[in-house]
Amino acid sequence: MNRRSITRLVTLGAVAAVALGTVTGCSTGDSGSEDGSVELTFWHNSTTGPGKAYWEETATAFEAEHPGVDITIQSVQNEDMDGKLQTALNSGDAPDIFMARGGGKLAAVVEAGQAQDLTDALSDDTKTALGEGSLAAFSVDGKIYGVPSSVLPGGIYYSKDLFEQAGITETPTTFDELGDAVDKLKASGIAPIALGAKDAWPAAHWYYFFALRECSQDVMAELATEPSFSDECFLRAGEDLQEFAATEPFNDGFLTTSAQQGAGSSAGLVANHKAAMELMGAWDPGVIASLTPDEQPLADLGWFPFPAVDGGDGGEGAMMGGVDGYSCYVDAPKECAEFLEFASQKAQQEAYAEAFVTLPANKDAQGVVTDPALQEVLASYNDAPYVSVWLDTLLGQNVGNALNVGVVDLLAGKGDPQGIVDAVEDAIKKG
Amino acid sequence: MSVRTSSPSVGRAPANGDRAGDELSSPAPRRAAAPAASTRRRRAADWRQVMEIAVLVGPALVIFLAFVIFPVVMAGYYGFFRWKGFGPPTDFIGLQNYVTIVQDPTFHEALWHNLVIVVMSLVLQGPLALLLALLLNRPMRGQSAIRVLIFVPYVIAEVVVGTGWSLMLQSNGALNGLLEKVGLGALAQDWLSNPDLAIWTLLGIITWKYVGFAVILFLAGLQGIPQELTEAAQIDGASYWQIQRRITLPLLGPTLRIWAFLSIIGSLQLFDLVYIIWGQYIASTAGTSTMATYMVANGRNAGNYGYGSAVAVVLFLISLVVALVYQRFVLRRDTAGALTERSDR
Repeated sequence: MNRRSITRLVTLGAVAAVALGTVTGCSTGDSGSEDGSVELTFWHNSTTGPGKAYWEETATAFEAEHPGVDITIQSVQNEDMDGKLQTALNSGDAPDIFMARGGGKLAAVVEAGQAQDLTDALSDDTKTALGEGSLAAFSVDGKIYGVPSSVLPGGIYYSKDLFEQAGITETPTTFDELGDAVDKLKASGIAPIALGAKDAWPAAHWYYFFALRECSQDVMAELATEPSFSDECFLRAGEDLQEFAATEPFNDGFLTTSAQQGAGSSAGLVANHKAAMELMGAWDPGVIASLTPDEQPLADLGWFPFPAVDGGDGGEGAMMGGVDGYSCYVDAPKECAEFLEFASQKAQQEAYAEAFVTLPANKDAQGVVTDPALQEVLASYNDAPYVSVWLDTLLGQNVGNALNVGVVDLLAGKGDPQGIVDAVEDAIKKG
Repeated sequence: MSVRTSSPSVGRAPANGDRAGDELSSPAPRRAAAPAASTRRRRAADWRQVMEIAVLVGPALVIFLAFVIFPVVMAGYYGFFRWKGFGPPTDFIGLQNYVTIVQDPTFHEALWHNLVIVVMSLVLQGPLALLLALLLNRPMRGQSAIRVLIFVPYVIAEVVVGTGWSLMLQSNGALNGLLEKVGLGALAQDWLSNPDLAIWTLLGIITWKYVGFAVILFLAGLQGIPQELTEAAQIDGASYWQIQRRITLPLLGPTLRIWAFLSIIGSLQLFDLVYIIWGQYIASTAGTSTMATYMVANGRNAGNYGYGSAVAVVLFLISLVVALVYQRFVLRRDTAGALTERSDR
C-alpha cells in the first residue's frame, strides 16, 4: 500500500547496518557501457499486490521500448525505506531511482548533492500534465529534483452509514457543525473521530489543518524557505486545536492507537464501523480497503474538506496534502530520467491510480478515478486556490518531528499551544 | 544420614593448562645455564603458542573490533558534529551536542525513568524471584508446570510480548473487558496513556517478563549450596526461616549480586518493550521514555544523527561507570582471582 512513511521500525544496529542494495556498475551520468546496455536499480515501497505488480509491468514496458536497459526492482517496506535509503546514499551504493516525498527531506538529499537535477530532462508536455503545484514540492531553488506519481490531499473521510445512524444529514462545513456532528455521534454511541496518535503525525494533521485555516498563504509558503513559527496564527491554530480537543471528539485511548496497523488502528476503526471519521490524506481509501473484513473498499466511505474556521487568514477552500514521487541518484544514467518521464505518461498514470486506489499526479489521467470519496477529493483539489504541503514534510525531518511531538503533548494534556510554538522554534535553532 | 557429595568445583584452583606462567616466574640464572638446544626448543614452543593464540583468538577479535569497538569509536566521533546523515559529517560543533543533552528536560525525564526502572526492577523482582526459587527448589506437585509458567515470558521475544500487552492494555482491550465482565468496571484504566499510570504498567510488564530470568539464576545458585549445611543446621534445631536467613541467603550472595548487576545494566539500556508498546513518539508523553528511546526519537527520527550519536555516547558512559563502580565495590569478592589486578586485601 502506498502509505506515508513515518513509522520506521529500525533497530539500533540497523543504523550501522550494511545496505543491501545491489550496486550499479560503471554508469557515470551519460550512457551505459560500450554495447549500450544499462542497468538501473529501483527502490519503491509497495510490498504487496497491485502496487508491486504495477511497477513490475511499468519496468517491463520501459525495457521493451529501450532495448539494452535492465531495471532491477527492489521493494522496501515503507517503514524501513528512509533508514535504508539513507544508509545506501551514505555508502555511495544508492539505487538509481528512489522514492521521495519532496519538502525538507528531499532538500536535505539535494543539499548533500545526492539527487539529480531533472529540470531539463523532463519534456514540457510532461511538466504541463503534472502541473506546477505538484512539481513545486520536488523543486529546490527552482530546479526539479523529483517526479510526482500521485497527489494526496487531505480531508475528513467518513462513514455515510454511521452519519445516517446518528441523524446527520449534511456534511459539516464549519466547526460548529462538526461539533454538532460529534455530539450526535456520541449520543448514538459511536466514536466520532478515529485518531492514530501513537504515530504522532495523524494527530499533528489536525494542527496542520488549523494552521492552514488560520495562516495566510504567504505565511505558509514562507515556511519552506524561512522556517519560523513567530506569526501569531500558529499560536491560534494551537488554541483552536486545544478547544476542539476539549470536546473529546476522538476515540478512547487515541494516544496509543496506531494509524494503519490492524483493525484496532484508526483506519481499522473506520473500516470496521467503530468510528465515524478520520482526517487523512488520499491514501486512506486504499488503507481502509485493506482493513475491512472482506478486504474490499468501504462502500459507504465519503469525504468532506476540513471545515472552515471563523476569522482565519487562510484562503477559502485551501488544501493541504502530500505528493509521492521518485528521484534519481546523482550518478544515475540518463535512462533514469527517461524512465520517470515514461512513468508519468497518461496510460501509466491511469494504471497507477487504479493499482494504488489514489489520485494520479498527471491531470490527464484523473478520469480513471472512480472511488466516490476520491472523486470528492479530486473536485475540491481542482478548485483549491492553493495546496500546501504537509507541515512536517515542508519543515523537514528535524523540525517536523518536534512539531508532531508537540501536538501529541498538547492532546495528552501535557503541553499547551505556546509549547508547540516553542518546540518548533527550539528545533529550528538546533538546525 | 547425610550423603557426602564432593563438589569438585569448590575451592579448587582452575587447572592451569599452559606452562607459560611457570616459565616466566622461573629464575633467570637457571635459564641462562640451560643448554642452547633446549632454549631454542623452548623459544620455538613459545612462538608456537603465540601463533596458536593468534589463530584461535584472531577471527573473534577482528569481528569484535569491526562490529563493536569501531562503531563505538565512530559514535564518539559523530557526536562532535551537527550531522543529518547525508555524506560525511563536516559541521564540527565540539561539545555543543552534549551541552544540549545535559540541558534538555526531556532527557532528564528519560534518565529519571531509567533510574526508577533500575530501582524498581530490583525491588520488585528480587524478593519475588527469591520466593519463587525457594518454592521451586523443593519437591512439590506441579513443580514443572509452575516452572514453565514462570520461564515462558522470559523466553518469548520482547517484540511479541510488547505487541501482546499493548493490545491487551488498550482502553478497549482485553484487560478492561475482563474487569467489566467480572463487575469491576470501576477499576478499568487507561493503562497505557495515563502519564501517572503508564510507568507502573511498564514496570508490571518488566517484572512479569524478567522475573523468570532471576528465578533461573537463583535456582542454579541454590543447587550449588551443599546439602550438608542445611542438614547440620536442622540437626542443631534451626527453624526453616533461620536456615534460609543464615545459610541460604549468604551463600546465594554471589548469584544475587551477579543478577542485580545484569538487571541494572539491562534497565539502563531498556529500549525494545517501550518502543513497541508506546511507539516512536508518545513514550515521553506517556512518561515511559528511557535514554535509549530518547536517543532514537531525537537522533534517528529527527534526522539528527550527530546528536543521536552523542546521546549514545552518554548512555554508554553512564552504563560503563555503573558497571565499573559495581564491579569495584560489589562484585570484588566474587571476582577476586578472576580479575587480573591483585586485590591486596
